[in-house]
Amino acid sequence: MRRGRAIVCATVLEILGEPLVLLVTVASVAIAALAPAMHYHQFGDPSRMARDAGLSALLLGGAATAFSGTVRTFRREMETGTAQAALAHSVSRTAFFLWKFAGCAVSYSLFAAIMSLVSLIVVRGAEIGGAIAAEKGDVARLWGPSLAFAVAVAVVPLVASAALNRFARFRFVLVANVISLVVAAIGAMYDFDPALAGRLVPAFMLAASPALVIVAAAAAFAVRFKANAASSLVAIVAACMLPLLGNYCLSDALADGGRVPWMYIVAALAALLPAIVAPLAVGVAFINGQDVQ
Amino acid sequence: MNDDAVIALTGVKKTFRDFWLRPTVNAVDGLDLTVRRGEVFGLLGPNGSGKSTTIKMILGLLAPTSGNVSLFGMSPRSVASRAKLGYLPELSYLHPFLTARETIMYYAGLCGLERSVAKTRTRELLEMVKMQDVSNRAVGGFSKGMARRVALASALVGKPELLVLDEPTSGLDPVSTKEVKTLVKALARNGMTVLITSHLLADAEDICDRVMILNHGKSVAEGRVSDLGESLEDFFLAKVGDVDDFVLADFLS
Repeated sequence: MRRGRAIVCATVLEILGEPLVLLVTVASVAIAALAPAMHYHQFGDPSRMARDAGLSALLLGGAATAFSGTVRTFRREMETGTAQAALAHSVSRTAFFLWKFAGCAVSYSLFAAIMSLVSLIVVRGAEIGGAIAAEKGDVARLWGPSLAFAVAVAVVPLVASAALNRFARFRFVLVANVISLVVAAIGAMYDFDPALAGRLVPAFMLAASPALVIVAAAAAFAVRFKANAASSLVAIVAACMLPLLGNYCLSDALADGGRVPWMYIVAALAALLPAIVAPLAVGVAFINGQDVQ
Repeated sequence: MNDDAVIALTGVKKTFRDFWLRPTVNAVDGLDLTVRRGEVFGLLGPNGSGKSTTIKMILGLLAPTSGNVSLFGMSPRSVASRAKLGYLPELSYLHPFLTARETIMYYAGLCGLERSVAKTRTRELLEMVKMQDVSNRAVGGFSKGMARRVALASALVGKPELLVLDEPTSGLDPVSTKEVKTLVKALARNGMTVLITSHLLADAEDICDRVMILNHGKSVAEGRVSDLGESLEDFFLAKVGDVDDFVLADFLS
């Protein structure tokens, strides 16, 4: 377990330290927070635009984070020799591969958590704002709070992290990611609506979980092939997953106070499990069957 | 196998192959090697002689094409055989985003050490390699010599019984080189078995009990340094230097 913790921690530190991951996170947060501020009051269902923007940013940003983070960390291990140094210790190749996959999955989960919390806040704001707009007809006043929150959740982590880096030598990118999560969590806890969370979180889980297949496939191919070849193979896997986008369309079920049934979610996640296990099995076979140079 | 043998290679061959499985190079060709408990064994040879390939087979990173490799009486692919092993690679393979302290803690974790023990040992090792003042800096910004010191500390963090050092003094200044040699001697006095490769024959002469000279993947000489009767450098050049001289003379003419 200690060996696993060491590998997971190092992997999380590496992926969350990637500037690209921070860029995707900030961009996704900004999209989720800003897009509904422009339109959410114009569609009858006041929070629809907020939900759709959040889910889209989670889906696309998540796929980018899962794909690039996993391929880069595995290739770097294999090409710079750090995998060699680790495998010379009492760690089996299978354990090394699976713990590293777990580190990638944890990093992706952090992104998914940030996006889910941000979407919760934005949807909540849209619902309250929509009600006020319907009553008073003062649409323009609704933009203010949404824009303020979008700026806060996108900019505060960068500024705070820059200050911590300047005065206390904290890691800029890593700390910015963590502060994003904290700011989003604080925002979501403020005026928390359990019923809304109960409706939205299952939908976020459905939208977020297919990216774990991308993480598993990227891990398997990156351990065996160079970055370009691995990326091409992962793209093929991602294309095969297009039918899973049906999960995303289920967000329509959330309209007008609706919810996705828990039994459907359990069944969908269970169906996803073989799609995660199969590439992991391939990855284990790859890492055990090759020379590590 | 000798009970005292920590490492034993019997008739080991390693042939690298291309994508179509055609043989490209015989890196190691029928090597027999035994390293006994408590000795400092030097694996010497010119570039491309098969030293690093041999070490990687001992560590279980490369599978031999034929022959048998044994580490502590077990297959090097078994996790148990590597539990008492410390390894310093030829290039200091370190995660550039980790600090010196985190790097040693990472390897302590891979050795399965408890957190409190790992912290204590990390502090001691940072002092030993004189890196305590920069322990919170990321190793990606270190010079080659500093990275080498961190890598050496990482190799020692699990208090191994066998230490495998691939070119340990590469990139170190003369003072640090002397410190590493003194350290290896001290570790050997405390009963640690050390397998070392080096291009610096004077270093090997100073610290090794026995040496093997490899050329083109084959052992061309093996014996105790004290039994050579001449300097290791002369002995080495007599065994492998003539071919290079011939090629160079040919080129110059």
